[in-house]
Amino acid sequence: MGMLNLVLSNVSRKPPTRLYPFDIRVPYESFRGRIIFNPENCIYCGICQKKCPPDAITVTKDEKTWELNVFRCIMCTECVSGCPKECIAISNERAKTGPKEYIKMVAPK
Amino acid sequence: MTTVIPFGPQHPVLPEPVQLKLELDNDVVVGALPSLGYVHRGLEKFVDTKDYNQTLYICERICGICSAIHSITYARAVEQLMNVEIPERAEYLRVIWSELARVQSHLLWLGLFADGFGFESLFMECWKYREAVMDIMEMTTGNRVITSMCKVGGTSKDLSKEHINIILKAIDDLEPQVKNLEKVFVNNYTVKKRLVGLGTLPKQLAYDVGAVGPTLRGSGVHFDIRESPSWSIYKDLNFKAVVENDGDCYARTKVRIYELYECFKLIRNAISKLPEGEISIQIKGSPTAGAEAISRSEQPRGEVVYYVKGNGTKNLERLKIRTPTFANIPALLQMLPGIKLADVPVVVLTVDPCISCTER
Repeated sequence: MGMLNLVLSNVSRKPPTRLYPFDIRVPYESFRGRIIFNPENCIYCGICQKKCPPDAITVTKDEKTWELNVFRCIMCTECVSGCPKECIAISNERAKTGPKEYIKMVAPK
Repeated sequence: MTTVIPFGPQHPVLPEPVQLKLELDNDVVVGALPSLGYVHRGLEKFVDTKDYNQTLYICERICGICSAIHSITYARAVEQLMNVEIPERAEYLRVIWSELARVQSHLLWLGLFADGFGFESLFMECWKYREAVMDIMEMTTGNRVITSMCKVGGTSKDLSKEHINIILKAIDDLEPQVKNLEKVFVNNYTVKKRLVGLGTLPKQLAYDVGAVGPTLRGSGVHFDIRESPSWSIYKDLNFKAVVENDGDCYARTKVRIYELYECFKLIRNAISKLPEGEISIQIKGSPTAGAEAISRSEQPRGEVVYYVKGNGTKNLERLKIRTPTFANIPALLQMLPGIKLADVPVVVLTVDPCISCTER
């Protein structure tokens, strides 16, 4: 009679799922949503580029650019923990999905 | 005269592609020939281009369900290769996360299995409980499945006091729910009718064909890597392997259900003994040329073996992985002869096939 009890206890219960587009769950604080780059302190040393497992980051020291290919990024946070100047952070906001415009995050020169 | 029927690679009960060519005499299976290679990704070769820290993230992506234990086993192999001892807190944290991963994997399997023999409401019930564990994973590590909490030299994430309280509360809630599930899986007439005496694997045969994990323990062989001396931490946590003697689908289901309670016990014990201190150590240098190491650990599906060889640079000379499903396929082929075609999905599911693991 185990299943009957389960079924009966579920009759009076609310559904465990959410009505998604109208009811969005607040992400957890430590959720790895997207990478945020702050160019102010960056010395363009390229450590993040070396550490990145899927080669998603490209840094040029001469031209002072920092690029992240969002489609390649696996959110491992190796760059966040490896940055000597703490320029890279992770936000719990989910990254927006989209076509090509979102593929690169280019730092201002 | 026998007929050959292809089972898979696309089949409703198989989440991943594998083909079994079933030789049938009327309705009864007389032989089976597996054909693998549909999801081969060449990950062992791909590792050549990455350093040993980056390889961890590749190992984690071998399997979606047991990703936590894959990365822990790899990290242990490299730590052995470089002769480093990780902090005690990291060891305990790894146990907590790997047992949480086991809980979610077993609940997932119970659901898929219930779906496999046509009990859809039970499937939804199992997956509902699994969500609680997935939420803990997301809260503590930042991701539901690919947790990235392990790194060579310790762990990269830590558990705060709040997290620990939430985990303990979630386990206290989950245990009575699993007890309800146990009543259905162990006592329900329909489930028993479908599982008892099906796909029997005798003890000696299970040992001879090299079965691992719940498949082996369901046949009465007392073998669990967590009890071996290399995993001394589990001994401190009062771990006991779950063994059932019948060797049929029912016994393998019972092993997995009782293992859930063992996981809850291990998580509680690990949390109560969790020492304070560092969670990782800095590792410098690279493995010496020709150095070799083997690391074994118990995944939800059975024993996984990692072999690593250094070549003096940051990259590894060789990484070889023996996954549990690969070891269980010969056992599966021994179970199939003599059963009806309609029971094949149930028997295939009882070894908990993970084809992405097997083919890497």
